[in-house]
Amino acid sequence: MRTGHYVESYEKQLALTTNPVTWAWTGALLLGLALFPLLVGNYLLSVAITVGIAAIGAIGLNLLTGITGLISLGQAGFLAAGCYTTALLVADYGWPPELALLAAGFVSALLSLVIGVPSLRLKGLYLAITTLAFSFIITHFLLYAEALTHGPYGVRVENLRFLGLDLTQLDQLFWLVLAVLVLTVLAALNLLRTRVGRAFTAIRDHDVAARVMGISLTRYKLAAFMVSSFVVGIAGGLMAFQFRFINVDLFNLLISIEALAMIIVGGLGSVAGSILGAVFIVLLPEAVRALTDLLPAALTEMLSTYVYEVRGLLTGLAIIVMLRIEPHGLIGLWRDAKRYWTHWPLSV
Amino acid sequence: MELFLNFLASGLVIGSIYGLIAIGFAVIFKTTGVLNFAQGEVMMLVAYVSWSLATELDLPLVLLIPLVVVAAAAIGALLERIFIRPMLGEPVFAIIMVTIGLAVTLRSVIVLIWGADAAAFDVPLKGGLIEIGPVVLFTEQLFAIVLFLVVALAIFLFFRFTRIGTAMRATAQDETTALLMGVDVKRISMLAWAIAAVVSGLAGIAFAMMISRAPDMWFLGLRAFPATILGGLDAPLGSGLGGLLIGVIGDLSEGYIGQGLKEISGFVVIIVILMVRPYGLFGQRELERV
Repeated sequence: MRTGHYVESYEKQLALTTNPVTWAWTGALLLGLALFPLLVGNYLLSVAITVGIAAIGAIGLNLLTGITGLISLGQAGFLAAGCYTTALLVADYGWPPELALLAAGFVSALLSLVIGVPSLRLKGLYLAITTLAFSFIITHFLLYAEALTHGPYGVRVENLRFLGLDLTQLDQLFWLVLAVLVLTVLAALNLLRTRVGRAFTAIRDHDVAARVMGISLTRYKLAAFMVSSFVVGIAGGLMAFQFRFINVDLFNLLISIEALAMIIVGGLGSVAGSILGAVFIVLLPEAVRALTDLLPAALTEMLSTYVYEVRGLLTGLAIIVMLRIEPHGLIGLWRDAKRYWTHWPLSV
Repeated sequence: MELFLNFLASGLVIGSIYGLIAIGFAVIFKTTGVLNFAQGEVMMLVAYVSWSLATELDLPLVLLIPLVVVAAAAIGALLERIFIRPMLGEPVFAIIMVTIGLAVTLRSVIVLIWGADAAAFDVPLKGGLIEIGPVVLFTEQLFAIVLFLVVALAIFLFFRFTRIGTAMRATAQDETTALLMGVDVKRISMLAWAIAAVVSGLAGIAFAMMISRAPDMWFLGLRAFPATILGGLDAPLGSGLGGLLIGVIGDLSEGYIGQGLKEISGFVVIIVILMVRPYGLFGQRELERV
């Protein structure tokens, strides 16, 4: 345990961490992740890409739900908006993928204003329902505005070259996702330590008190909506690169619920927690699949017939169990474990 | 005009289903302040259980319904006891998230038990077509409307005149005072879940008899959200009426404006209502505001 740790200047206070050990570990982790594609096969790599994109989306949602306290059930809608923006701009309008990915963020952020403005008056439950309704309206629009979105036929994206990377190759796509994830993490961590981030937290903890302290609820709630859906939109854009053939069915209600499950399981309001949660929720069905070899044949067959149901079941149970036993999520467990370790043998 | 009346009638039929589910939402919300996102799934579970009862026992409808009511009440109470009671005292956000988790779980469990195929719900109610003026309805459709009217009346009488109903209203108004007056608040929450399961479960049966019992029935629960938002989350009867309105709006907009609007019109209504009158048409105006 570190002792004699004093912060003596504002620069140090604002720094991400003053601990060189943390930097070393982070560097090692990043290096390991960057070398990941060289070590594993295509299947694990595609799972890793899914985890990465899910983590970006979860960070986005956590900014809104975990940090600002505005519950959103509309994750699927924003993902869909981002995904379709990128796919359509690349496929139909010939935009370079770099710009199309950014556009996904901006379109999603603009859309969030449409939902954000009416929901300024609403809290908790009502907001959850509005965002839910919004996501249904988006997918409905995507399905029926056939002239713009190809409707039920879906969109195929081809020839993806991104800053010299060939995105049809899994390893290169992985590097792009990793880079975006790192940028998102840095942006989120830095945002949280600025005036804006603290305003978000203040709104979550007590909106009236926040207002009394001079935080404009209108401005900061809308900002939270926009920042969050920008990030989620980018995640959606990356999904277009990952799947290369997209249709509306990708963006069902389960996606929104899984996203909520990620931040609840990982830890509400924590960036690291979002990543842990994304890893957990994406890997859970994979782990079950890996374990099925050990199970009786009848059960194996059932699990392979009802993949989607098993996924739903695991997500649902993860939410319920986590809320019951550890409301702070995996990151809370990690902090507890760390505290136990450093204080041992005096820990309780 | 004839077309309009037929749209109106089919809207009222599906609206009755929405209305019943919406009453379920409102009963739980009014007494516990929790919006049960799993209401559609509870409805589906009851419908599946009654389907099994109906096919196994081959009962007439008159005997089936009381059996279903008992089964549904047991299901509702059990779910509350297992999943909601332990969360008592946690923030509402956590409880709502539990109901969302419960929704996905139930949905999957039902498919794992009964399989992913739809099945006809054959109950001896095949009276064929009934003509009311220019409107033609199936017996099952008329049954849905009648069921809605009966249940709505029963709910009204229950909350107005019975001792337990009054206790539930008292709990809704002020939990602590109700506790001091000797109301067993914990049991009230369980009772609310049981009643909601019965009411929406009946909707499930009516729907399954009209179409079939199928693994996508839970979606009716989401379609009933607009109804309860429109009618007022804390107004069971208002929510029921909201259901009728949403059903009619859906069918009319599908018929006159464009295809696919049936599914979506309700959600558009939600957004409009929440902007204009967030407490609904019949709800109390004391919505938590910023």
